[in-house]
Amino acid sequence: MSDTAATAPHPAVPRPPKRAPRSLRAWLTRNPVVLKELRSRMRGARAFVVLTVYLLLMSAFITLLYTVYLSSNASVYSRPDRMLLGKFVFGGVVGIEALLVCFITPAFTVGAIASERERQTYDLLRTTLLSERALVLGKLVSALSYVLLLLAAALPLQSLAFLLGGVAPEEVFIATLLLMATAFLFSAAGLFFSSLMRRTLGATILTYAFALLTTVGLPVLLFPVALLGPVFSYNTPPLFVQAALVYAFGLLIVMNPVATLIATELVLVNEQTVFYFTTTLYDPVTNNPVVLPLFSPWLPFTLFALAVGGVLVLLAILNVRRIEN
Amino acid sequence: MSVILETQSLTKRYGQFTAVNDLSLQVEQGAIYGFVGPNGAGKTTTMRMLTTLLRPTAGEAFVAGHSVRRAPQAVRRVIGYMPDFFGVYDDMTVWEYLDFFAACYQIGEAQRQHLINDLLELVDLAHRRDDQVDTLSRGMKQRLCLARTLAHDPQVLILDEPASGLDPRARIEIRELLMELSRMGKTIFFSTHILADVAEICTQVGIVEAGRLVAQGSLAEMQRRLRPHRTLAITLLDRGAEGVQSALFGRDGVLSVRVADQAPQGQAEHAVVEVDFAGDDAAVSALLRELVGAGLPVLRFAETMHDVEDVFMQVTKGIVS
Repeated sequence: MSDTAATAPHPAVPRPPKRAPRSLRAWLTRNPVVLKELRSRMRGARAFVVLTVYLLLMSAFITLLYTVYLSSNASVYSRPDRMLLGKFVFGGVVGIEALLVCFITPAFTVGAIASERERQTYDLLRTTLLSERALVLGKLVSALSYVLLLLAAALPLQSLAFLLGGVAPEEVFIATLLLMATAFLFSAAGLFFSSLMRRTLGATILTYAFALLTTVGLPVLLFPVALLGPVFSYNTPPLFVQAALVYAFGLLIVMNPVATLIATELVLVNEQTVFYFTTTLYDPVTNNPVVLPLFSPWLPFTLFALAVGGVLVLLAILNVRRIEN
Repeated sequence: MSVILETQSLTKRYGQFTAVNDLSLQVEQGAIYGFVGPNGAGKTTTMRMLTTLLRPTAGEAFVAGHSVRRAPQAVRRVIGYMPDFFGVYDDMTVWEYLDFFAACYQIGEAQRQHLINDLLELVDLAHRRDDQVDTLSRGMKQRLCLARTLAHDPQVLILDEPASGLDPRARIEIRELLMELSRMGKTIFFSTHILADVAEICTQVGIVEAGRLVAQGSLAEMQRRLRPHRTLAITLLDRGAEGVQSALFGRDGVLSVRVADQAPQGQAEHAVVEVDFAGDDAAVSALLRELVGAGLPVLRFAETMHDVEDVFMQVTKGIVS
């Protein structure tokens, strides 16, 4: 082709752009695994029943919140009260979504590789030209797309909060980002354990152990750290110990999606900031104030989730070894 | 004929256990190669190494000139593999099943439509195109599986026990499909322990036992090599077998003479004598003339064909590793 172009006396016909614009479907279905998984997942009534039940439960929850609110002394006509209800509705929806993302997302990927082994289709795939990366990423994308659908379907319910007021667009944005990052982390964990174990059962146990550790185990660990505060209050510890404690506490928070959501909201309300704030510590010796820089938890959590999730996906790709020894 | 599939001292060890031991075989292009052996002889292990699923401990294997060790992706391009189990996905129709695997072989979406119809036509499943895979009968699943291995038009088909567990009709259908594929120019390397299949369709046979190749060649070659003489069965009208024995004993070309224990069924008055004889057709004809000339009441005079089971029993020793 380049030869004819070089020898042609007249200017060559402009080449079509290297990447022709593709439809979303074409882009998604270039990976055969995505195409197959989406076909199977959306087949029949199951996917739609799950979606409907999920939305019904969520609506019931909001109705309950609303009823409780009405039966209290608060008034819908009072602006501060209404804003509080808005915050509750928003917080409730995001809370349920967080639980869903933590405990249902892993179920979408936990069988990804292990069930191929169990069904003995794994050997068939390994003799085709399908790459390890396409297999693992295909499973990840198809699982995440269903989670995204669930999150998107709940958006109208979240938006009820706007009607009532009290919720800022930043909060919606951050909450969605955090949920997506969490979904990625737990899908990746499910994939990793699925690639590690021969059986889906083993992979399920390990994945849920991981999910429980990050969501419940870490808050339990937070207690001793929090308890150290009063211990030191009689005798102020050296500055570096104080700083270390603040950061250790922060680190534990940003490893937990639910704690991150709550802490981010607290930072937003108390510090009136989305990104960056400071806290002041006092040197016990000189009594000089020292300003400690801190990030709003959603930022480090998103980085943490993307990094850990990315590593888990990479490990899963490495585990899907083509040639047995 | 050129060699399209070859193993050179292929060996697979699991710790102390040797599953495949120094196995060297050659499959000619266009052949239907029957890979025969008892269960546990190392047939599946060999096939898994040839299909790049398993790394050999030692030795090499080449498919269409590509090394399974150094160029596994090139090997995958030229082989179609059907394992001895049928991998099913839930919630998948027949055409989606083929569509998925064709996509895994990087065949474009536009071509796949056409290809799937052709493949279903070939394996006679066009009428089940939109049915769920798990509603198919075993024989149909096996044919679908075979269609799957053909998606990327491979030169070599590696089939592990394609006829196992099928009813007689399904087995014959698979056998005819293999003949058809062979006519289409595919080389077929398949393992089996159904010896009738081997006798009827294989152009080449390899017999493996305890991880070693104990015999290889065409069936006729193998028979010649294993039994350099021919066996003649002589049926006599009366029970005078002794006459034949004395007439033939010590004659040129006669290796041994046996009186068969049992007469043919329903013909208790007849006797059968088996003669191992080394000689060409003219010599056999001369032998018959002599017997008749000696006044022996010869009713039937025929050469016994050794079937593939005889060959199998003779080359294998019943060792299962």
